[in-house]
Amino acid sequence: MINPPSDNRPAWCPGCGNFGILTVLDRAIEEAGVDRTQLVLVSGIGQAAKLPHYTRANVFNGLHGRALPAATGIKIANHRLEVVVTSGDGDMYGEGGNHFLHALRRNIGIKMFVHNNQVYGLTKGQASPTSDEGFVTKFQTHGVILRALNPLAIAIVEDCSFVARSFVGAQEHLKAMMVAALRHRGGTALLDILQPCITFNRRNTWAWYRERCKPIPDSHDPRDKMKALELAMQWDGGIPIGLFYTCDRPTFESQQPVLARGTLVEQFAKAAV
Amino acid sequence: MDLNLRIAGEAGQGVQTTGSLLVGTFARMGLSVFATQSYLSRIRGGLNWFEIRIADRQLFSGREDADLLLALVPKAIQTLAPHMKKEGVILLDGESSDAPGCIALPLTKTAKDVGGSEVMANAVAAGAAMRVLRYPLDALQAFLADEFKKKGDETIAANRRCAEAGANIFGNDPPHLDAPAPRGKAVTLSSGTQAVVLGAASAGAKAVFGYPMTPGTGVLQGLAALGDEFGIVVEQAEDEIAAVNMACGATYAGVPALVATSGGGFALMVEGLALAGMLELPVVIMIGQRPGPATGLPTRTAQQDLLFALRAGHGEFPRAIYAPGTPEQAYHLTRRALETAHKFQSPALLLTDQFLMDMETDTPPLDRTLRPIDRHILADPPDNYLRYAVTESGVSPRAIPGGKAFVIVDSDEHTEDGHITEDLEVRVRLQDKRLRKESGLRAEALPPERYGPEDAERLLICWGSSYGPCREAVDLLGAEGTSAAMLHFHQLWPLDSAAVRKAVAPNKKRAPKKIFCIEGNATGQFASLLRTVGALSECERVLKYDGLPFTGAEIAERVRHD
Repeated sequence: MINPPSDNRPAWCPGCGNFGILTVLDRAIEEAGVDRTQLVLVSGIGQAAKLPHYTRANVFNGLHGRALPAATGIKIANHRLEVVVTSGDGDMYGEGGNHFLHALRRNIGIKMFVHNNQVYGLTKGQASPTSDEGFVTKFQTHGVILRALNPLAIAIVEDCSFVARSFVGAQEHLKAMMVAALRHRGGTALLDILQPCITFNRRNTWAWYRERCKPIPDSHDPRDKMKALELAMQWDGGIPIGLFYTCDRPTFESQQPVLARGTLVEQFAKAAV
Repeated sequence: MDLNLRIAGEAGQGVQTTGSLLVGTFARMGLSVFATQSYLSRIRGGLNWFEIRIADRQLFSGREDADLLLALVPKAIQTLAPHMKKEGVILLDGESSDAPGCIALPLTKTAKDVGGSEVMANAVAAGAAMRVLRYPLDALQAFLADEFKKKGDETIAANRRCAEAGANIFGNDPPHLDAPAPRGKAVTLSSGTQAVVLGAASAGAKAVFGYPMTPGTGVLQGLAALGDEFGIVVEQAEDEIAAVNMACGATYAGVPALVATSGGGFALMVEGLALAGMLELPVVIMIGQRPGPATGLPTRTAQQDLLFALRAGHGEFPRAIYAPGTPEQAYHLTRRALETAHKFQSPALLLTDQFLMDMETDTPPLDRTLRPIDRHILADPPDNYLRYAVTESGVSPRAIPGGKAFVIVDSDEHTEDGHITEDLEVRVRLQDKRLRKESGLRAEALPPERYGPEDAERLLICWGSSYGPCREAVDLLGAEGTSAAMLHFHQLWPLDSAAVRKAVAPNKKRAPKKIFCIEGNATGQFASLLRTVGALSECERVLKYDGLPFTGAEIAERVRHD
């Protein structure tokens, strides 16, 4: 079963937040009891998108921005596979923005782990869709003037069935969120993971996030959509982390009569005998 | 003996319904049918027409002039009267008409009076047409019974009364046109769209993705209609980029998948096509061509995307391109495209167009039985499984995720195990491996089909949907003593140039004196391609790019005088 990676050394800067996400993901996969042969890690392009190469799983490392449609195709073909998208903020919210919107509507059982470092790392330091206003880069020389995208609020508005945020510096918290997302059976899950880019984002540093990230109090009812939305609007005065919102919606898979007969892969194999 | 009938009206007036009634009836009578539609991209308002050509021998194309025009609005006469045969008959729905040679008939009024609804003007019109052609009414009555079975006996009876009233609408002096004699045995019909749908469903395509775009939409909807029966999931993607990437995901996971679009949608899929090339995924895309650039003429026909389909995608990777000429070929080539894509783990493109997709013509019954293609999947991958193992053929044993081995694929250059690499020696080895698959594809390339004598003086080279018109041109030329043959290509890539040279001149001593390349574009793309691969040096380009298909008579005319 083990086909060992040819070059297992991550091409990330020492101190990069991606290392922490990788470590925690490995632990979460074990804790959630996911069978790695049934796990497909799907990514687009970017520093975060390299992650699937550094662990043991099936890997679909596709095009920039297109992780979600590829993951959707995989899940439609074989809905018994655990399909986890692990890619960055530029990939998921920028280039893949349209797919992000419609994945939320589709509610197919894909887990999105978005490494959100508020900057483009692979292309060396341009603004990302989640960069704070005023963030100066070599491209945005007078500072970012576009309003930062709020992926959590968008996901809540569209009734994404699982909406959470964590921070790579809070490893136990992150693991708990990943495990909850992996165990989620109600359709699409979004886990936005705040992560410092130590090379290209000198604004949103480890210390910056540590100071601001505050666990959502236990008193929050994640089924309260308006409260969830209120939480998702908070940023400058402190960044809530935890489960914002969850709701019961029929999944895409459960509404396809054809898939009630088994996965498409099984159905093809049966017909081909 | 053949006859050309044209039904014209505004979009939404029932042009298509009347046309379908007559097409179904003629097929039942055993007439050969060649029907096409010409419609504008508006739901209501533009002038649409439905052409039905019938004959007592097999038809392969339409014709320019009509014998019978059924005009549902006066403006149909303004537009289409110049395209009538001299002795042709024009019928107009209305109380009176001042157009010369036109007979006004109260079709809608009769439908209201006799059937109780304007909608049944279709049946009245069909009845009137049957009378002009001196055909007995029973075939139409029988077809009406079949057509409205679901709507109940009352609807059937009302429609039949309307058909009867239509046949009697002329009183004692109906106009007459000589029409081909029915051959009795009913013929089966298919459109290009139905053929692609059945080809894909019977081959075991399990996942279908697309974004609505004429003329690809029919395939998506046709497969959706068969979804429950055949076990197919058809998903309307948020855009064409999503559609092709979904297909990449689905094929990676192990099911045959199909994407259908038009040139503009395919333009958006180009990066995804390159991904299929890099990941070596058997993605099949049907491109229904229409005139471009950009939105162009959205509901008309063209053969303009050949070189685009051939060169689409950054970087270099093998692919197969098929171009069916008839619905029957469309069925077989859809299956073939899926088979080849899986055998060589390479994308395959099916180049159709509006003319082929919408044409409805005699077609041998298409086999609906599910006969799944071979996916060439490794049932039991070894422990040290390498997705991109370097092999002599370039084809690596393929496993799918969910089994024992991890299946690792990457759009970056990768090692044999699928992991990202910047090792430049590996890069060259893997690129060579991928490109080696092209010789396998070439060895299996389908040869062109010849129609006409081997030593013909005039050779008409064509591809895709020009098959029928070219074939008819050969017959027309032959009948007048001009020696001509057709060479039709239904696989456009890879091309085996030696085989093509041989097909062009099977008899070296009597090579064709004049070679024509007949194409629905403005630059002669296939002629250029044949020249590029060294298959043909000189030829006369016979081109058409006004959005309409060729007719046999038109090709014969342009080839005769050259």
